[in-house]
Amino acid sequence: MDGAALDTDTSGALVKVDVDELTRGLYYCMHCSLCKAVLPSEVGSDRFSEVCPPGARYRFDAFFGSGRAGFYRAFFTGEFGFDESPRLPEVVYSCQNCGSCSISCRYTSAIGQVDLERATEIMRARCVEEGLSPVEHSLMVQSMRQEDNVLGEPKAARGDWAEGLGLKDINSEKAEILFHAGCRYSYDADLRSAVRDAAGVLVAAGLDVGIAGKDEACCGGRAYEVGYQGELVKYADDMASRIRASGATTVVTPCADCYYTFRRLFPLVGRPLEVEVLHINEMIARLIAKGVITFKEMVPLRVTYHDPCHIGRKMYPEFMYEVPRLILGEIPGVELVEMERIRDCTWCCGAGGGVLEAYPEFNDWTAGERVAEALSTGADALVSSCPWCERNFIDAVAGAGAGMHVYDVVELVGAAMGGVQDGNRK
Amino acid sequence: MHNGLNMIVCVKQVPDPEGPPTSYRVDEEARTVTFQGIPPVVSPFDENALELALGLAGVHGGTVTLMSLGSRFSPAVMLKALATGADDLVLVEMNGDTAPDSFATARLLAAAISRRGGFDLVLAGIQASDTNAGQVGPGIAELLGIPVIPRACHADVTDGRLVVKHAVPGGHETVGVPLRELPVVLTVGFEAGELRYPHLAAIKAAKEKPQARWDASDVAGMSPPGNLLEIVGLRAPKRERRCLLIEGDTPEEQGESLAVRLREDGVL
Repeated sequence: MDGAALDTDTSGALVKVDVDELTRGLYYCMHCSLCKAVLPSEVGSDRFSEVCPPGARYRFDAFFGSGRAGFYRAFFTGEFGFDESPRLPEVVYSCQNCGSCSISCRYTSAIGQVDLERATEIMRARCVEEGLSPVEHSLMVQSMRQEDNVLGEPKAARGDWAEGLGLKDINSEKAEILFHAGCRYSYDADLRSAVRDAAGVLVAAGLDVGIAGKDEACCGGRAYEVGYQGELVKYADDMASRIRASGATTVVTPCADCYYTFRRLFPLVGRPLEVEVLHINEMIARLIAKGVITFKEMVPLRVTYHDPCHIGRKMYPEFMYEVPRLILGEIPGVELVEMERIRDCTWCCGAGGGVLEAYPEFNDWTAGERVAEALSTGADALVSSCPWCERNFIDAVAGAGAGMHVYDVVELVGAAMGGVQDGNRK
Repeated sequence: MHNGLNMIVCVKQVPDPEGPPTSYRVDEEARTVTFQGIPPVVSPFDENALELALGLAGVHGGTVTLMSLGSRFSPAVMLKALATGADDLVLVEMNGDTAPDSFATARLLAAAISRRGGFDLVLAGIQASDTNAGQVGPGIAELLGIPVIPRACHADVTDGRLVVKHAVPGGHETVGVPLRELPVVLTVGFEAGELRYPHLAAIKAAKEKPQARWDASDVAGMSPPGNLLEIVGLRAPKRERRCLLIEGDTPEEQGESLAVRLREDGVL
């Protein structure tokens, strides 16, 4: 039912929700509780067998997928409302909407799919309409409106990360590829090297790449995911206008959240992008396959890889599980050691779905759990493909007093290419 | 020396006027506007009023009380307003879903303000973004029997006077009110400036600020006044757009044809 529960109205503008169809889907939940833990075939140890962060943290059924299916259903049928429980919004928002429950249900339910991801989004939209969403989210949306980013940073500084990389400015030049950095990568100083490597790899490969710089705006996905569904339309229109201005035929982003928003959320509001959208990993894999880029430098590193939800199970059935592993496998010196919870059974980094903003302690705990698992592998570095995950892991590693490095896949690619941040073709 | 002004700022919770227009629908049958995916917010001109009050309190001291009339208040919206620097919050709650009209709102707010007492200034936005009626501020002044200074842009206290710069057609006028003659009502427009941004620490602290909930029936001392206004019809204006291509071999010819066409259509 992925996406099918929603369609757009005749004007193609407003998200229309077929709540009846979604509710019928929620009746498929038999409370088998297979959404509460790692898929039975994938369990490694007791320690890392949980897969639902809110359930594992709060231990009440309402926080797990099965409990949510029950009270969402009661809410949509009018049996239960906000007046019955003042804690209802808190439960609705104490969830990264990481998709672990949905994916378990896809694989194990014999009678039908319970689409908890879409149902959670709709519940949140109801909370927003009733003014019951966390105040932290309203501040985030205010920042998006005023500065076009979720972090409250100045719009004028958005393109600073790209200085000296030799990227075209699409405000004045055409480019075949529009590189969209995303909010986190545009502003987070600790991740600057990663985003510079991501764009630098494309330049080094001789591709025609442009950015919007200070005129790049948030993808809008975070607003949608916390219930501000109406906000997404203008970000989708904004992105389409930048693509038109650039003349680009491909959008490349190093951000998993932006990628998911472009690929899955824009169509939900009737605004699919008319160009190819690639995550930087997909572009790098292509360049490797064509022999355009080669890895000459040794990167002696024992790494473990974290699958971001937004390019992993939330993209069902177009999972990007193998691509980053394939890239890591090509880099000389890199040894990949897997964690127990990977691919479909990944433990979320904690930042998704507005949890980072509204429930920082829950966010930190979730990230800490993942870092504990990464440390258990004996890897030197925790590698991922999403700036939100990486930011969370950097903080969690510091919180644990561990010496583990946190990298994006593209940083290892950049190192293996002998450095790609000088703006020169390799 | 005075000890600062005690101010009451009337704030209305409205559906976010900054939300995309596509999120709103006019329901002609129900004679109401429905919306989807749009959060409630404090009406923007009321935010300007709050900013003006916070500015005065910041310089001259005093207190800022938020007062709101309505039903189904959003804790997040009110908390955010409190976190900008107001001292306390009074929610005047109505039962039922019927929205009060301007007259009923002014009566209830005037009664609530009287009950609160001890105020020097009442501030309100010049109009609410959902109705644009602009009657509540002056209505409160009338019902309380005190003056109103409309469309205040700036206010200060100097030499024992409240000095208010306010917008008048074609310009500005500055008026002074001896502090001993207060209270007055100020209605406030965008000129007073955007409401300051509350930081997360302020939001956390605001949860501890006093919040009172008053029942509108108690406040009025009788059953709440009914609406004098009845909406008999509501419809969205039809928008038609046509694109005409103006012919011509040269830019000059095209320009001339365009000018002729605009004159024919009565645009020029």
